[in-house]
Order: sequence, then structure tokens, then C-alpha cells
Amino acid sequence: MMMPKLFRSLTLLLISGLLCLAAGCGSSTPTKVAGDSKSSSGGTATADAPSTETLKRKKSEAGLKEVRFPIASDGPRSMDPADGSTHYDNRCIGQIYETLVQTKYLKRPFELEPLLLEKMPEVSDDGLTYHFTLKKGVRFHDDDCFADGKGRELVAEDVIYSIKRLGDADVSLKNWWLVENTIVGFDEYRKTQNDADKFDYDVAFEGLKRINDYEFEVKLVEPVTRFMWVLGMFQTSVVPREAVEKYGTRFARHPVGTGPFTMKEEDWVPKQRMVLNKNPNYHECFYPSESMPEDEGAGLTKAAGKRLPFVDRVTIAFFLESQPMWLEFMSGNLDFTTVPKDNHNEAFTRRWKVKPRMKNLGITGTPVPLLDFIFLGFNMEDPLLGGDSEKNKYLRQAIALSIDWDQRNDVFYNDTARIYDGVVPPGLPGHPEEGLAEQNYRGPDLQRARELLAKAGYPNGEGLPKINYYSSIEGPGNEMAEMTVGHLGKIGIELNPRLDVFSTFIESVNNKKAPLFSFAWGSDYPDPENNMQLFYGPNESPGSNHFNYKNPEFDKLYEQIRVMPPSDERTAIIEKMQAILIEDSPYIGAMARYRFVLSQPWLKNCKPTEQILNTFKYLDIEE
Amino acid sequence: MFAYTIRKLAYNVPVFLTIILLVMLALRVNDPVYSFLGKNAKPEDVIKKREQIGLDQPFPIQYGTFLTTFDMKTESWGQPGSTVGEMLSDSVWPSLSITLPTLLLTTAISMVIGLISAFFRGTWIDRSLVFFAVLGMSVSFLVYIIFGQYYGAYRLNEATGLNLFAISGYESGPQNWFHYCCLPVLIGVIVGMGYDTRFYRAVMVEESQKEYITTALAKGASKSKVMFAHMLKNAMIPIITRIAISLPFLIAGSILLETFFGIPGMGRTLITAVRAKDFPVVQGFTAIFAGIYILTIILTDILYALVDPRVRLS
Repeated sequence: MMMPKLFRSLTLLLISGLLCLAAGCGSSTPTKVAGDSKSSSGGTATADAPSTETLKRKKSEAGLKEVRFPIASDGPRSMDPADGSTHYDNRCIGQIYETLVQTKYLKRPFELEPLLLEKMPEVSDDGLTYHFTLKKGVRFHDDDCFADGKGRELVAEDVIYSIKRLGDADVSLKNWWLVENTIVGFDEYRKTQNDADKFDYDVAFEGLKRINDYEFEVKLVEPVTRFMWVLGMFQTSVVPREAVEKYGTRFARHPVGTGPFTMKEEDWVPKQRMVLNKNPNYHECFYPSESMPEDEGAGLTKAAGKRLPFVDRVTIAFFLESQPMWLEFMSGNLDFTTVPKDNHNEAFTRRWKVKPRMKNLGITGTPVPLLDFIFLGFNMEDPLLGGDSEKNKYLRQAIALSIDWDQRNDVFYNDTARIYDGVVPPGLPGHPEEGLAEQNYRGPDLQRARELLAKAGYPNGEGLPKINYYSSIEGPGNEMAEMTVGHLGKIGIELNPRLDVFSTFIESVNNKKAPLFSFAWGSDYPDPENNMQLFYGPNESPGSNHFNYKNPEFDKLYEQIRVMPPSDERTAIIEKMQAILIEDSPYIGAMARYRFVLSQPWLKNCKPTEQILNTFKYLDIEE
Repeated sequence: MFAYTIRKLAYNVPVFLTIILLVMLALRVNDPVYSFLGKNAKPEDVIKKREQIGLDQPFPIQYGTFLTTFDMKTESWGQPGSTVGEMLSDSVWPSLSITLPTLLLTTAISMVIGLISAFFRGTWIDRSLVFFAVLGMSVSFLVYIIFGQYYGAYRLNEATGLNLFAISGYESGPQNWFHYCCLPVLIGVIVGMGYDTRFYRAVMVEESQKEYITTALAKGASKSKVMFAHMLKNAMIPIITRIAISLPFLIAGSILLETFFGIPGMGRTLITAVRAKDFPVVQGFTAIFAGIYILTIILTDILYALVDPRVRLS
């Protein structure tokens, strides 16, 4: 009878263990909590502040200044600038590689300044020829691809080689659009080389001309202002030919740049982390003196004139789920974080201020506007909804007035997005004050919508056939479509939602088969021209003008602003263009999201923005 | 036995070829190139990309080519510079470091509890164990992970200052296993125990009602001897089935655990590949998983035959 006794003891032990486990999960640990703790309804546990009421920073290696930064994704795809395209690629590549120009860190609205250049380029009177002079003494990172392993000096040939790579179809298909139809002879060169057996980088063409080791010239097809913004985008970063040729496809994982930080292959553990170390040979670069009035109070001007970078190491951690990222931040293991949707109410008040509990811990919070243009679009070639007849215009305006953007914002964005009239996102010249244009068709205004619907010849929607509404099923596409159906239903318009995966959806839009569609555009560079080109006639589908909107007056104005440098005059034209778009209503909208970020008290010089991504060199840690 | 094995293999080859065919067709319903190239893609770029990866070839050629290589040497779209084969080999061990201990612990504990439950069938002990098993399996896996990560890592670390379990992250090597993998394994075991305990209890109860058990007891064998020496051995077929079915998932990893705990295993790699429209990785991983699954079924059949010769005869 020994065994049954043993069984009984074992059973009791197991049951006790299970009970303890259950009790452990249900009870809170007996620690002092620094503030109110709420359970999130979104399925993510909230993090109470640690019991000491102050966050302790996880120690770095002795004597090493280290910034720990999270990225809410699996990290970059590739460390080859010509092949990268995502925000995350940019975040990482921007610390290792450099572009000819960069966006000023503290100045708003955004402006460019030289980075690898001695000075901003000299532009000919016709705006077609750019003369560049490179900064002397800029060296690539030390690497085995160079003779004796020492990084050699950057020369004009490197810039020309790097721009040519954008044309090589084996290297970069995603980024060709940046320079397409821009540089004299480049399109022809690209075609010839891609049709040949081997892409020959030694063949020269008219638009890119080396003058000497430090000077080169670029001739443009037409004078386009965006060209300079493109030269500030990470895809045009300068790479050494030796590294590309030595590492082949491994170059995507073995970056060799001129930037403030270096990365060895083993320092990037995909899906885990990336460790960047200070480049001991970084060229002379200083913390900016030019700032905005509010920067002084935020302590952002103290480091003015000091040599960059400040920290010895940057560790970037990748998170697919937001809870571990949030908990790591609240444990002091991360110096910065974006606030997950489920934790928004824990960090920010409804007025977008940091909650007192966070403030007491010294945590700083900032809402960062994104250059978003979230909208619904009409196919202007559709016989029912498109065209420039008054009847169809009234119908489009009625539809626009039925959309309840506030509800959309509340349900899908925690009421944290900004609704605005026009197509220029907040923060850019031409964005209407408070986002409100004098004449607008912003919904919900059902009374006005019904009036316009009647004027269009469809009182209460009578006689109007079902409208096919296209949207991507990814994300909350299905729920958004349900909401849109409900909105239009209120004025008697019936929709037939056609939801599909993104590839099929975009194909329908490109083929002009979608009379009404839901879409979003994130500006590629901080210039309203990038959004205006979405309505430029020659860009019709499959180009970026998915509305197939054609208005000679608008096109003429666009051609004007495309070649103008930023100025009040240009802004006035942009405002005029917006007014035309609002009246013609080829789109419904718009909305821009905000990214809410928090930074720890010990992180210095942090001015969060989504537009400037080579920011780690400015950051400092107060131990 | 050799002939039996060969026969089983031969039967399953057409199954595998059909699975590959279906997977390849399914992945081509929506154009993967359009999704991958994004908002600025031009039709000519799409054509070029199709040419680069052979999607412009007739489907039978694509099928034949895939069967010879399984895309193992093809470069990943989501992680250029790494081949599908490299990504597979890099992610197998992190997955196994979670799934293997989870399976072993879950099976061992559940079998013991199942035996105890069967032994005390109908008593309060049995009812309590079944109650907890049902309770355990009724709660979502996600809830265990969220609360486990919060209390087991974050709050425990804050309360004790010991930094016992990592909130997330992974480092290879046995010295790091406890810190990074123990908590996910514990969560996996708690979740798995609910299902397994009920299953093993049912198997044991069914077996304990067989006539040979009564005979053994009538002949004077002790209850414990009957359970361990007779009953457990005869209950092996469903137990083998259960374990064998779990084997392919050891390799596939646990998407939820790996995603929340930042473990770079197969599950996380696959879900990332799906999100990033990494066509070669999705295709390659799916084919390999299908192959492993089929091999496991064959292995299970062979084990059946070894354990119970009647299986082969029938």
C-alpha cells in the first residue's frame, strides 16, 4: 500500500502547486505603486511604476554611454540604402550611412543643410544645373574592403556610383521613382544597362559629371525643387564601391558608410537587436545652434556647438508586440518608446498632456505629427462619380459630407488623429490654420449632404445605383468599410464593399476599376509638393494620381510650385490648389495620425520627429 | 518492416507533391510582387521583379524548379543577404529551445496527473484535477502570455530586483536558457497541461476498464504494478499518436510565445515573412513544414507497427 500513499502525497502537492499558481496570477505583488493602475481593455497588461517611485536605468557596460531605442517591428529589411524603403530601414541605415544633405534637427518647418557637402549646392539661374562640393576629410568606416582595412576618403565618384545604383534593377526596383525623369540621360542609361548582360557603372552620361575628387555636377531634366529633398533621403546615401563589390548580396547585412556609428555583421541579430558603435573617425559635425524658441526651455540648446556624436553605443531592440516594449520601457531598460495604443490612456491625458504619474517619474511625452494623408478617393473617370459635371460634383460633395471623421478617429485611432481640410498634412506650409479651410465639405453634415444629393438628382439616394467601394482588407479594413457603409446609408446611398488583399486592391485602383476607394499616403519628404503630385494629370493611374483627376488649371499651378523654392508665394499657390481640390472633391478627407512618444529623464537632446531619422548622433545620456 | 516503411513512403509522395502544388497555387492567387514593391511600384518594375524570381515562367516549370531546390538557396525578400535555408537553420534552435522542453515537461506532468486522476477516478481528487484541467484549457493562450509576462517577468523583477526572467529577448547558449526561455516554457506547459491531462486521463480510464486489467488484479497483482507494468504499456498507441502529432510543431515553433517574448524562432520568422510579403520564405517554410509533417505521420505509423504488430497485419 506504499504507492497509493505516495500518489496521494503527490496529488496534494500538485493541487497545492496549481492553487498557488492560480493565486499568484490573481493577486498583486505587495509593492508600493506610484500611481493609479488600470487594466487595459485592449488585452495588454498595464505597467505600474516601480515601487521606488523613480525609474532606475539599467546599467550599461562600465564607462560606456549607451542609448537603448526600440523599434516596433522586426527591424530593417536591408542595410543597403538603395534597396531599403521602410521607415525602419531608414532609422537604422541613417545612423551608419550619410546623405549629401540632411534636415535641420531643431528647426521647424523643416529645412535642409549640408551633411557630406562643404556648402549647399550652387544652382544655375535656370535651375537645371547643380554644382556640388564635397566636404574634405570625410572617411568611410574602417573595413576589410579597403586596402589595409582603413576607411578611405569619400570622393565625388562615390556619390555618382551611389546614385547610379538606384537605376540598377538588380539592386533597386523600389527606389527608382526617386530619380526617374529627373537627371539628364539617366533614364536612357538605366534602360541600356539593364538590357545589357551586365550593368556597367563605368559608363558616363550627361547628367552626372565628375569635375574632380571633391566636385561634381548634376544636370536636371527640369528644375524640380524636390530634387534636394531626394538628396536628403536615405536611399541616396553614399556607399563605397569596394564594399558593394566585395560583399555582393551580403552587403545588405554588412554596411560600410561614413556615418557617426558603425555596425559589424554580427552586431545585427535579425528580429532581435542591432548594436551600433561610435565611429572613432567620424568627420567634424556639431550639435546645431539654430533652434526654435521653445527648444531652450526643453533643454535642447545646451549642447549647441559640441562635437557629435555624444554616445558610444546605440542598441536598437525590435519588438513585434507592444506589451514587452512597454514593460521594458517602464523597467528602465529602454530610453525611449512610442506609446502603444493600449497604453495611451496610461501615459497621456485626453488633452494630450503627460499624466502626472509619468511626469513625477521625470518621463517626457510628446505627440509627434505624422505627414499622413488618410482619405477616400473617387475615380474621376467613373461615369457616375467622376467628371467635372455639376451633377457629379454635387454627388461627390454629398458623399464627403456624410462621412463622420470624428467617429472614425474615435473608433480606430483612440481619438488621437487630426482631421483636416485639404491635402497638406499638419506641419507643412499650406496646411490650413487649425486644419479648417474656409470652404469645405467635411462631414458629418447630413442636412447639407441631403441637400446636395437632391441637387445631384438623387433625393434621399433615390435612383442612385449601388456604388462599388474598394478597400484593402488588411488591418481594420473590414471594420472601416462597415462604418463607411453606415455613414452613407444615413443619406440613402448604398455601397457595395469590395474588400481584398492589398495587391488585388491596388491593382483595381491602378486599372481604374475602383469608383470609390479608401487609401492613405505618407509624405516621402516634408514638402507639400509630394501630396500635390497625387492630383497632377500626367501622374494618372497606374501612376500616383489614383483619382485620375485632370484639371488644366491645377496642373499649371503644380508645374509652377514644382520648380519654386519654398516661399510665401509658393505657399499661396499651394493654398489656391487646395481650394480647387476641395471644391472639385476628387477625394474625401483628410486625417493625419500622431505618434505619441515618451522619453526617460536621463535621455538628453531628444526632439522627437518622424521626419528626421539620423537623430542618434544628437542624443546624450545623463548617467 | 523495411517493405512496410518503403510502402508508407511511396504512398505519401503524391500527398506531398499535391500539398506543394496547392501551396504554390495559393501563393500565386494574389500577385506577391505587387504587394512587395509597394505604393510606388511601376508596372515595368513588377514585370522585372517577376522575371528576377522566375514568376514569369510557366507554372509547371516553376513547380519543377521548386521541387529541386525548395528555394533553400533563394534570397529572402524580407532579409536580403540571407537565404531561405539560412533563415530556416537560424530559427530552428530558438524554436526548439522553447518547444522541446515544453513538450517533455507537459507530457511527463500530464501523464502523471492523468494516471493519478484515473487511479482516483470518481473521487474528489479526480474531480479537482479535471476541474483545473478544464479551467486551464478554457483560458486563452494570449491571456497566459500577457499575465505571465507582466507578473512573471516585469512585476517579479521589480519586486525582487533579481531579474530572474527576461521580459523579452533571446540569447543562445545553455547559460542563457533559464533567463530567456524558462518563463515562456512555463507558460507553454501550463497551457498544454489542460488539454493533455484530460486526454491522458481518458486514455488511462479507458484502458483501466479492459478485461486484462481485471484479470491481472484478480491474479493478485498490485494496483500500482497493474497501472505501470500493464496499463501504461498498452496505452502507448494513443500516447505515441499524441506526441507524434506534436513533433512537427516543435519545429514550427509557437507564433504567440515567440512573438511576445522576442524569440527568433520559426513561428516568428514565418509570421514576419507573411507580414513582409516575403514570398520565398513563406513558400519554402510551408513546403518544409508539410514535408516534416508527412515524415512524422510515416514515423508514427512505423512506431505503431513496432509497438503493436497487429497494425501491420491489418
